[in-house]
Amino acid sequence: MPQDPQFGDKLVTLMAALVLVLQIAMAGQRWIVTNIRIFAVQSFLLAAIAAVIAGFNHAPHIFIAAGLTLIVKAILVPIWLERLVERFQIRREIRPIVNAPLSILICGGLTLVGYVVAESFHRPEEGFNPAALGHNILAVAISLFLIGFFTIINRRKALAQVLALLSLENGLFLAAISLTYGMPLIVEIGVLFDVLVAVMVLGILVYRIRESFESMDVSRLRRLRG
Amino acid sequence: MRVSKTDMILIALLLVPVVTAVLAAISRRRPAMEAVNLAGFALTFLLALALGAAVLGSGPVSLWDGFLYADALSALVILLTAFVAVLCSVYAVGYLRDDERSGALGDDAAITKLRKYYTLTPLFVFSMLLVCLANNLGVMWAAIEATTLASVFLVTFYGKITSLEAAWKYAIIGGVGLSMALFGTIIAYYSAHQLAGSDALSGLNWSVLAGRAASLDKTTMRLAFILVLLGYGTKAGLAPMHTWKPDAYSEAPVPSAAILSSATLNCALYGLVRFYILTSRCLGAQFPGQLLLLFGIASMGISVPFILVQGNFRRLLAYHTIDHAGIMTTALGIGGLMGPLGLMLHMTFHTVAKSLLFLCAGNVHQHFKTDLFRNIKGGVMRVMPLTGVVFLMAMLAIIGMPPFSLFQSEFVIVRAAFDGGHSLAGVLFILFGTGVFAGALLHVGSLVLGSSNEPQVGPRPWRDASLLVSAALLVTIGFWIPSPLLHLIRGAAKVITGV
Repeated sequence: MPQDPQFGDKLVTLMAALVLVLQIAMAGQRWIVTNIRIFAVQSFLLAAIAAVIAGFNHAPHIFIAAGLTLIVKAILVPIWLERLVERFQIRREIRPIVNAPLSILICGGLTLVGYVVAESFHRPEEGFNPAALGHNILAVAISLFLIGFFTIINRRKALAQVLALLSLENGLFLAAISLTYGMPLIVEIGVLFDVLVAVMVLGILVYRIRESFESMDVSRLRRLRG
Repeated sequence: MRVSKTDMILIALLLVPVVTAVLAAISRRRPAMEAVNLAGFALTFLLALALGAAVLGSGPVSLWDGFLYADALSALVILLTAFVAVLCSVYAVGYLRDDERSGALGDDAAITKLRKYYTLTPLFVFSMLLVCLANNLGVMWAAIEATTLASVFLVTFYGKITSLEAAWKYAIIGGVGLSMALFGTIIAYYSAHQLAGSDALSGLNWSVLAGRAASLDKTTMRLAFILVLLGYGTKAGLAPMHTWKPDAYSEAPVPSAAILSSATLNCALYGLVRFYILTSRCLGAQFPGQLLLLFGIASMGISVPFILVQGNFRRLLAYHTIDHAGIMTTALGIGGLMGPLGLMLHMTFHTVAKSLLFLCAGNVHQHFKTDLFRNIKGGVMRVMPLTGVVFLMAMLAIIGMPPFSLFQSEFVIVRAAFDGGHSLAGVLFILFGTGVFAGALLHVGSLVLGSSNEPQVGPRPWRDASLLVSAALLVTIGFWIPSPLLHLIRGAAKVITGV
């Protein structure tokens, strides 16, 4: 791998931009299967970003985080979610509350907010060093988080909400990588483990809700009030 | 390497609940599960007492290069958690046997459901103990997330449509909230990142960060605290992130609801307090204090109308918990020397009173097969004398009626508010407190008093025992707090104030 920080910076920035584009695409997407695949690609890019940062910063423990992300989020979770969709014969699952063009517009606004917030972390006086690789990443991470948040609110279907929650957590992972070059490893493992278990809990709930409602429309969960 | 006595206590505190869960999972018959749970939680409680004694005797203890760390604050929250756990394990024996007899668990799968309860509850308690023992803020976050995961399936215990709805809300709102807390934790780590030696595993240890809080980056710490407040505030059920709470509490089996409403609330507040300490040492008490006051007062205010018009007594108790989460957050926000002391006193008293209230509500619910006031039409005191008396007494205690203990802690908090120049907060505190007082008294009075045609219920040893012990404790601590406990409470407040 060439050890040129400029090259690494460009590579990371490019991939981060792609991650952001995918996130916005997910928010405007109507097909659940496409959504899951976009999520898989996004997670793959995330693992790649982590690997590049690990390579340039000589931080071998980030490689482990990258590997875990690749296996769990880019492979296991998407396969499992697709199987869930297949079992329920779902085709076009997502009926967002706000329509697609407006959703994308809102996502654009949220990205702007992300950049403004990230600006307060930017310290040009520290100069350029390998540790400052891709300072755009934080802005992308915050945008990812905000867009994920919006997408959860915007979706009615249980499975689609789970996907949005997972993409929100991708934003967190990106923030952890870019701000701290990998939090102490035990934390990363804990976080990934939690994501996995959370997906399982939510999956079982989705399954049970499906069984008892004949539909996974959570907006029909309206019995408990007051 | 020699293992000292305190090390043993710390290891055993985490090990005992896990072993309990494993043994319950492989038990075939109900009596074995009950015995395992009772023994496990009794042992946990004894260990919590031992930990409290050790912390009082020799100050903070830590293990494995500070991976586990316990000071007076952790020891107090652990003690309260262990108390609620052992109380509920005794109550659960009677409660679940009744459920099994009446067919509420379903006909064929009763033993599977019982195994689920007796396995998940120790895991749930384990994750709460880990919250208090973990020094690393990331591990603490993961443990708080684990409390949600362990308890989601307790909320779905009865498998009704409404319990699925409640569990879904709980999981998704909790998941989103805690992701904010994780973001805050990451940013807090970043604010310490520039300091030397923070790359190691201990870089996120609370005891390390607290020592150098003054040199943390101020801008980022501000953002971190806001995110953590939103995150752990969701878990504690502060308004406006409280909507999952009445649903989850009214759908979970009553012993689980009792643990959720007292011990889990304490754990969420515990996480918040740890971050408050870092933030107030970094930025001064002004900034975090005002945010906490805002959320605390809002939670108290929002619970008032819901308490006044509430027709379901388990939801009523849930709104009470939102009110008390608000009271405790307000106490932390008031700060000074008295605010944290009020918080710790209130946490102790609230834990005893609220768990007791849920157990009483469980008795009423199970006997009358309803949660609605209008279906019962009074007379609980005639039908179930012990439950009725204790219910009324605990209700008077929780709304802050003297001579019960919560009056004292609320008085300390109000006084701290006026002394500290937070007059508006103090006035609103009293105003909302009065609203809650009126609403609760009206409802529970009509439920408990009056006449009834139903025959009187005979003694039920498991549940009566847990009710009596807890009620005796509630009355006692109103007049006299054992001096070791008082020292522990003072010590916990001292961890917050730092003097």
